[in-house]
Amino acid sequence: MLAYIIRRLFYAIPILIGVNLLTFTLFFVVNSPDDMAVSQLGEKYVTPEAIEKWKVKNGYDKPLFVNDEASGIDAITDTIFFNKSLRLFAFDFGRSESGRDITTDVSNRMWPSLAVALPTFAVGIGVNICVALMVVMFHGTKLDRWAVFVFVSLMSISYLFYIIGGQYLIAKTWKLVPVSGFHPDGQVWRFLILPVMVGVVAGIGSGARWYRTLFLEEANQDYVRTARAKGASEISILFNHILPNALIPILTGVVVLVPALFMGSLLIESFFGIPGLGSYMLDAIKSQDFAIVRSMVFIGSILYIVGLILTDISYTWADPRVRLS
Amino acid sequence: MKPVLLWSDALIFMLVVALILFFYKLRQDPQTRERWGEVFSSRLGMVAFTVILTYVGVALLDSMHFRKALENPEGLQTDEIFYDNKVTSALDVMLQGMGDRFERTYSAPFALISFEKKNMKDDEGNSIRDYPELEHAGTHLSDASQQLADVMAKTLVAVMWGLLFSLLAIFPQWLLLRSSPNPWYASWGVQAVVICFFTWLICISHHYHVLGTDRGGADVAYQSLKGIRTGVLLGTLSTLIMLPIAVTLGVSAGYFKGWIDDLVQYLYTTLSSIPSILLIAASVLLFQVYIDLNPDFFSIGMEKADARFIALCFILGVTSWSTLCRLIRAETLKISQLGYVQAAHAFGVSHTRILTRHILPNVVHIILITFVLDFSALVLAEAVLSYIGVGIDPSMGSWGNMINGARSELSREPAIWWTLTGAFFFMFILVLAANLFSDLVRDAFDPRTASRRSES
Amino acid sequence: MSEVTNVRMRINDLRVALAETGVEILKGVSLELQEGKIFALVGESGSGKSVTSMAAMRLLPDALEITSGAVSVGDQDLFELSESNMQTVRGRRVAMIFQNAMTALNPVQTVGQQVAETLRLHTDLRGSALRNRVVQLFNEVGIPDSEQRFDFYPHELSGGQQQRVMIAMALACEPEVLIADEPTTALDVTIQEQVLKLIRELTESRKLAVLLITHDMGVVRNTADEVAVMYRGEIIERAGVDDFFHNPKEEYSRRLIDALPDLSHFQSAAVEEPLLQLDDVKIHFPIRKGVLQRVVDHTRAVDGVSLAIGRAETYALVGESGSGKSTLGRAILNLESIAGGRVSFNGKEIQDLGRKEMLPYRKQIQVIFQNPFSSMNPRLSVGEIITEGMISLGLGLNKEERDKRIDELLTRVQLGPEFASRYPHEFSGGQLQRIAIARALAVEPELIICDEPTSALDVSIRAEVLDLLQELQRDFGVSYLFITHDLSIVPSLAHHVGVMQLGKLVEQGTAEQILTRPEHPYTQALLKSVPRIDP
Repeated sequence: MLAYIIRRLFYAIPILIGVNLLTFTLFFVVNSPDDMAVSQLGEKYVTPEAIEKWKVKNGYDKPLFVNDEASGIDAITDTIFFNKSLRLFAFDFGRSESGRDITTDVSNRMWPSLAVALPTFAVGIGVNICVALMVVMFHGTKLDRWAVFVFVSLMSISYLFYIIGGQYLIAKTWKLVPVSGFHPDGQVWRFLILPVMVGVVAGIGSGARWYRTLFLEEANQDYVRTARAKGASEISILFNHILPNALIPILTGVVVLVPALFMGSLLIESFFGIPGLGSYMLDAIKSQDFAIVRSMVFIGSILYIVGLILTDISYTWADPRVRLS
Repeated sequence: MKPVLLWSDALIFMLVVALILFFYKLRQDPQTRERWGEVFSSRLGMVAFTVILTYVGVALLDSMHFRKALENPEGLQTDEIFYDNKVTSALDVMLQGMGDRFERTYSAPFALISFEKKNMKDDEGNSIRDYPELEHAGTHLSDASQQLADVMAKTLVAVMWGLLFSLLAIFPQWLLLRSSPNPWYASWGVQAVVICFFTWLICISHHYHVLGTDRGGADVAYQSLKGIRTGVLLGTLSTLIMLPIAVTLGVSAGYFKGWIDDLVQYLYTTLSSIPSILLIAASVLLFQVYIDLNPDFFSIGMEKADARFIALCFILGVTSWSTLCRLIRAETLKISQLGYVQAAHAFGVSHTRILTRHILPNVVHIILITFVLDFSALVLAEAVLSYIGVGIDPSMGSWGNMINGARSELSREPAIWWTLTGAFFFMFILVLAANLFSDLVRDAFDPRTASRRSES
Repeated sequence: MSEVTNVRMRINDLRVALAETGVEILKGVSLELQEGKIFALVGESGSGKSVTSMAAMRLLPDALEITSGAVSVGDQDLFELSESNMQTVRGRRVAMIFQNAMTALNPVQTVGQQVAETLRLHTDLRGSALRNRVVQLFNEVGIPDSEQRFDFYPHELSGGQQQRVMIAMALACEPEVLIADEPTTALDVTIQEQVLKLIRELTESRKLAVLLITHDMGVVRNTADEVAVMYRGEIIERAGVDDFFHNPKEEYSRRLIDALPDLSHFQSAAVEEPLLQLDDVKIHFPIRKGVLQRVVDHTRAVDGVSLAIGRAETYALVGESGSGKSTLGRAILNLESIAGGRVSFNGKEIQDLGRKEMLPYRKQIQVIFQNPFSSMNPRLSVGEIITEGMISLGLGLNKEERDKRIDELLTRVQLGPEFASRYPHEFSGGQLQRIAIARALAVEPELIICDEPTSALDVSIRAEVLDLLQELQRDFGVSYLFITHDLSIVPSLAHHVGVMQLGKLVEQGTAEQILTRPEHPYTQALLKSVPRIDP
């Protein structure tokens, strides 16, 4: 088990290097260090000397990937790519293009993101499983068919409409909670309840439909027939046999998302004015701040890889048949 | 009149031809034909398919672009013809100038007056502040109280015409298909509704703004219709760009195994580890920078928007192949173990031949299912991307841009709901039809659901 | 008729139809199960034998419905009970065991809990008393270390033990009737023997009435008291077991019985120069461990096998699942790399040949696989399937010659030229296996490796395919390496027999030698479990 985890972490390194390589290439294809210097310094102050100075100061005075002048290992290490990547691996994200320290920003903004994303995630799974179970109990009836139709309809509505609709109805028309905003102390829940609700409702369509399929898949297994032959009732079969088995794919399917909860939700956070990582990313995209985007890509990749490892571990925990090797 | 062929137009027409060929080829295989038969034997399948075809049809009409010839200015005698800088499409012609009837700013659906007050002079020359009358709505009415009766009368006439057109359209189909076992009547029902709706919309839009106007005074119904082309194109183009990458990599990883497999797995793990929205956003931003740095590449504004649109399709395609690739790799691994591939090995059949004759045809069902599933996902994604500001160029009509613009309008008093409603309605119908259709396709083609059905 | 009082379960004129179309699946089945007796319901796949048992227990899927008939246990008419009362009958008065114990047990519950669940549903036993009762049941069905096995998950037990757990589960509430649906089909022959013996013993000790559903006449012969043969939803013949085997009335029953081995006639072993020779062939699969996934050891799938097959001879390679026999077959085809030893064909070593150099030999060595449904590409027509080898191995035929050859081959395997344009899914398993034979023959091979070609087929079709293979051997002088787990088809077919166990060839010799005077204990055990008409 431990050997397995170590090996997986080991595999993560080439993936993260790949991620960095990709973002670097993407960025420098259109934007040379000189362009960066120009846009940072502002048109007025552009002189060749100023550009050089800026490049030296910010570490952009070296070749991008391969240093032809240096010899040996330095050919790889004495480059912009190597230095900038190395700092990412040390979780030193540097400064954004507007001069703020990204590491501090990230650690401050992580918690509001989690405050919205975690309840949305947990409540969402609970609600979806309950809805799916109810529908499965009526499998084969008209109700089941209509329920599937409703799920597909819910899935076909854009996320944006859920947010706009929720804000309009609950916050604006009924004035139950504030439309948006976030205060870290006091009545945080007043600000959280609407985004969480919107997140959960928006997920019911696809979630419940997926779980329903998983339940039905299990309901066709041989061991269900055995349970019937034992004289177990349909309800008891559903809860004692189908549910525990179906939880395996459900669990392992969602565990990969758990670490990514730290990243928050782009849309929810920006609509509801929550100062989390989601809105941070959105602002970065809108202001074309590449330093932030690059750092967030890196963090996102790490969290995804952690999610993959957690998925494998959760398999061994949920399914007695699986042993990691 | 001078035809204009945008890159996206060329692609969409090539695509339609390719798809027709593809389905024609699929039809030759009896098993596939059986499966399609299953999809179309349900009323729901027929309805969903007809709706999708309608959208595709509108998108195609909207892809036939041309520039109108301008009449020579008075007094100028020359043989040279000047063309309008604005690009028009066949759809614009059919809609009979619906897009040209601008107001000053917002107006509610079927409204006769503007949404915002304006300083005006009354008959006596006094300066007053009131809601001005609209320029293109209800101008034929002498009194606002006649409006309801007028709308009713016009609707009745339009629906009569619509029914007549429907009859003309459906009768030949009936002659051809009346003995078919499939429920074509469901399709005809939808066709009649669609034809009546469009006839009504075109007729009535001469006199009213059915879905009101937006901030810039443009007709919302017209904009929603223009959004169709963007949605449909984005959905299909991106998927089609993604398909060859995913299929090639997936099949070779699953078949050759070894280092190729390791490489492909590394590629898709790396790609899927990056939060997709960030990757897309970063790529689009970079392309935007590129366009800004090279403004001379595009002669008319529409071409610039079009280039950005195609870039977006490419980016969506190139960043989203990992899921399908994974599925195809797994399926190929499974097929490689099956008797017929083993037998082919025992016959010394070459790798290319095994790949093209034994493996590819047997993963087609996955490709098909993904194609229809991704289509609706992409249409939805477009709205989100446009909202974030990395989607379609604002000059090109799209539902995402409409929603983005309408975001603050709901909070006004009274709320401006119609822009959102227009986008919602057209988008929802398309995505719902695609989702329902993809469900049916999956039920018919996925061996897992198929085996479940045959057991019970 | 004196035993009428002992009837435990009675099925009377049971009819079942497809709910949608009304097509009858069961056309009036009647039978009685008596205390302490095993009633065997025999038939091939699709004959309706499983439907009978599921209908009797009211466990049919939604697509099927019972149209008429009556089922009673004791005095209780099961069709009159409410669903909740029916649940008290299932498991308590009538218990069932199923074919594949691996899938029939809940994979995420310990086997102890699953047996306990039955007891919990129908008795007041709880806590340690419940656990003790389960352990006691495990002991009774012969599960060793039953105390520890309670907390095992199904996948941690062997196939035989899983089936024992199923039996323990079924017997937990001391039912009057046991319905066993193909209880031994998924098991290896030696295990099969033990499980059947257990069922037999329990029937007597517990005075059970057993309905044994099977397609295997050997099982019937060795375990049942009474037999009913089902064919297309009807019982066509019913008799006591001795009477039935000595004196079958229906032609179809006779066909089923004829499929049983005749251990008195053997193929005489022809001595000839060897066509294929294996010397000390080893096939190893690496086992990787640790952070760096270093190869720490090898699984010895085939561990030093030497054998020789002569021209126009059949060599039967017998062994249970996992013995390495199929891997060996694939290695001869050069589809699996060999760790050591030599494979010589016609005196030439072929084990290290590359793709190109191997091509001429591919013409001479061909293969037929076990599962006919997966060995044909569903997207190609039969004609295309058969031509594939001719084209890729460059037989130098033009289109017309090839078409002519397809016609000949299809006629030769008793199908007919008109089948060439049809697609695999239109055929039955037996027909597909004939097409597979035609495909192999198309390149005129000298050796065909038959990897369990008949194990997926029904008994009556099995004989036809085997006959065809023998006929082709006589006509074309082709040799067979016949890989099988089923000793019963060996006598009529093979000249030489090799018995494989855990990658090693434990015994080989002429068919007569092995089947009449086996020396190795494993061969003896295998042979003992083969059913015979006259023991």
